[in-house]
Amino acid sequence: MHTAAIDPPGITWLRVSPKYVTVRLVEWALGNLVVLGVLSLPLLFVLLGWWTWPPRWLAVAVPAFMLVLALWRLVLIPRQVRAIGYAERDDDLLIRGGIFFQRVMVVPYGRMQYVDISVGPVERRLGLCTLKLHTASASTNASIPGLPAEEGARLREQLSARGEARLAGL
Amino acid sequence: MTAGGPMPVPGEKYDGEWLRVHPASPFVRGWVALAAIGYFFGRDTFERMLQGEPLVGGQIAGRAPWLLAGGALVLVLAVLGFILSWYFTRYQVAEGYVRVNTGFLFKQQRQARLDRVQAIDIVQPLLARIFGLAELKFEVADAGESAVRLAYLRMEDARQLRATILARASGVELEPGRPEAAAPEAPEQQVLQVPPSRLIGSLLLSEQSIFVVLGGVASVVLSAVTENSGFFLYLIPAALGLIAAYWSSFHKGYNFTAAVSPDGIRLRYGLLDTQAQTLPPGRIQALRVVQPPLWRIFGWYRMQVNVAGYGAAGSDGQGGSRTTLLPVGEIGDVVNMLALVLPDPGTADPLRVFQCGLDGLGSDGGFVTTPRRARFLAPLGWRRNGFAATDTALLMRSGRWWRQLVVVPHQRTQSMALHQGPLARRFRLADLVLHTTAGPVLPRVIQADAGTALALFDAQAARARAARKRQTSEHWLAQVTPLVSPVEPAPLVEPAEAGTLVETVDLDPHQPPKLASSPGEPGWRGDELDQRVSPRAPNATQQEGPQRG
Repeated sequence: MHTAAIDPPGITWLRVSPKYVTVRLVEWALGNLVVLGVLSLPLLFVLLGWWTWPPRWLAVAVPAFMLVLALWRLVLIPRQVRAIGYAERDDDLLIRGGIFFQRVMVVPYGRMQYVDISVGPVERRLGLCTLKLHTASASTNASIPGLPAEEGARLREQLSARGEARLAGL
Repeated sequence: MTAGGPMPVPGEKYDGEWLRVHPASPFVRGWVALAAIGYFFGRDTFERMLQGEPLVGGQIAGRAPWLLAGGALVLVLAVLGFILSWYFTRYQVAEGYVRVNTGFLFKQQRQARLDRVQAIDIVQPLLARIFGLAELKFEVADAGESAVRLAYLRMEDARQLRATILARASGVELEPGRPEAAAPEAPEQQVLQVPPSRLIGSLLLSEQSIFVVLGGVASVVLSAVTENSGFFLYLIPAALGLIAAYWSSFHKGYNFTAAVSPDGIRLRYGLLDTQAQTLPPGRIQALRVVQPPLWRIFGWYRMQVNVAGYGAAGSDGQGGSRTTLLPVGEIGDVVNMLALVLPDPGTADPLRVFQCGLDGLGSDGGFVTTPRRARFLAPLGWRRNGFAATDTALLMRSGRWWRQLVVVPHQRTQSMALHQGPLARRFRLADLVLHTTAGPVLPRVIQADAGTALALFDAQAARARAARKRQTSEHWLAQVTPLVSPVEPAPLVEPAEAGTLVETVDLDPHQPPKLASSPGEPGWRGDELDQRVSPRAPNATQQEGPQRG
């Protein structure tokens, strides 16, 4: 488990389910296949002789570049999922994420306006859910993806109870 | 003016009874529609009259009665719609709620809790102003749309209603026997005024003027080089746009005055349309003071705020002016406004700390800057980017040319995040982002040392927690927050003129407990300001008097 320079010391991070990798893989596949397909069309047309303009090297280079980028992202997915973590402290919830661009966020329980849980089709099949916290600030983009369903429900109840106990105004 | 019935008797109104807005209001609101109908049907006739032809053309003479009947029908329907919409719009202030019912086909009932008020605005568009009417906007924290809009009330009714709502929201105990009685308006004291000359000067020296000059020079050079005068043609739409922008800024900033009352900060401005905003104490979520490069000549600053009800700037076309706390002001005005927003600065020497935040460099005033090793990442700004924490607020400064100081009170911090990208990791740096409600201010500590940022992250979480525990009630008079007292020494407030004390009400339940005047406590001691500030802006304190007189 890697700890980054900006993680507060002495925190035991709870990690999300490794099954979340599958969700990310499906998302990756859907997104990149479409992009790659569209970008490969010029190559196909050039090879078939329908188009003359894009020179062959350009028609090859663009999709190849995208493919390398997509593969690079693919390799990163498991590490990115492992980097997601959350920790419940007495008064606030910590959420971390990211490998290259790391982010550690603290959301005080008293500041939470509401908590919602969303489940996508792939997540439902794997028994996962995504928990999202909302404060009065729109820039609080605090979500924990890839939680097992029962852990998500427990966390939601826990957060609601703690939020009510420490509720503060704006 | 007084077509709406008998004058309101204080104490008789707003005691839970359902009231209607002024009967003329649909016409004031819908005069554009009426004018359009009139134009549509009247134009042809008018043109014929001018040309000396018969009023009704030959080929449509037979259908004229039908056309007239149709026009009359449309007019009657429009007026009927206005009357119905007026009849079914009713409002009530009772039991801690303000309720508004609208609509006769699709009914809508709205209620908003009084103690959740974030701001109350009284807006007077030009036409409403002519008729002595005003619109009242009641903002709760939903970032954008006004929770309750009452258009239009008579001006004195609107002010009375505002006073009542603010009194209820502040938790003030009115006459104990009659809890629903109307409240007298809280007395207010003018703090500053922006003279028109300064406003015009600030517009001339603003950022857009730089672009005007650059664009003009570029077009002259281009047309001289290419010997093609067509470039000037392109300038016409640009010039029109710029004139509109200048006009809008001038119009919104004209006659800007700020006053303080126990109900909060009251801002008034506007040339044709006037607006009076009331920000109750503690409703300002974040604040920034900026200084464009050219404003440095005269030592001018602009202040903007995030308020939960106002939302992001420009979301409703006027967010930009509503989030402006001070369109242009000198250092004395800035300090005055800071003292209103942050009554307890939380440091022993607030003027020095905030002065360093406004234009300081390095570690003066307790600021922690970007470490020296990162000077290649920010060659100009590394000594400027920094933060300082007082007991009550976090100060973040940035920008060597476009100077900026952001202030976030600790109890207003929503959540926080540390960010670190690959480059920042090489230099062991991190950014700390404070999340606040939507608005023009985006608080961010830029490129702090990673260890320092982490320490700040922890300390700030603890400070915000402690500050939230101190603030428990939405009723601001119930909190032990001094509000008016910091201005009371008032060395910056000019000597009382006629109208400085707008109203003096004998029954004065609003007056908050005077707490901050105790000598040992840290506060904005104005007497230091003259010494501190004078080297930079020698006549900052006496600036307004002569210009206004």
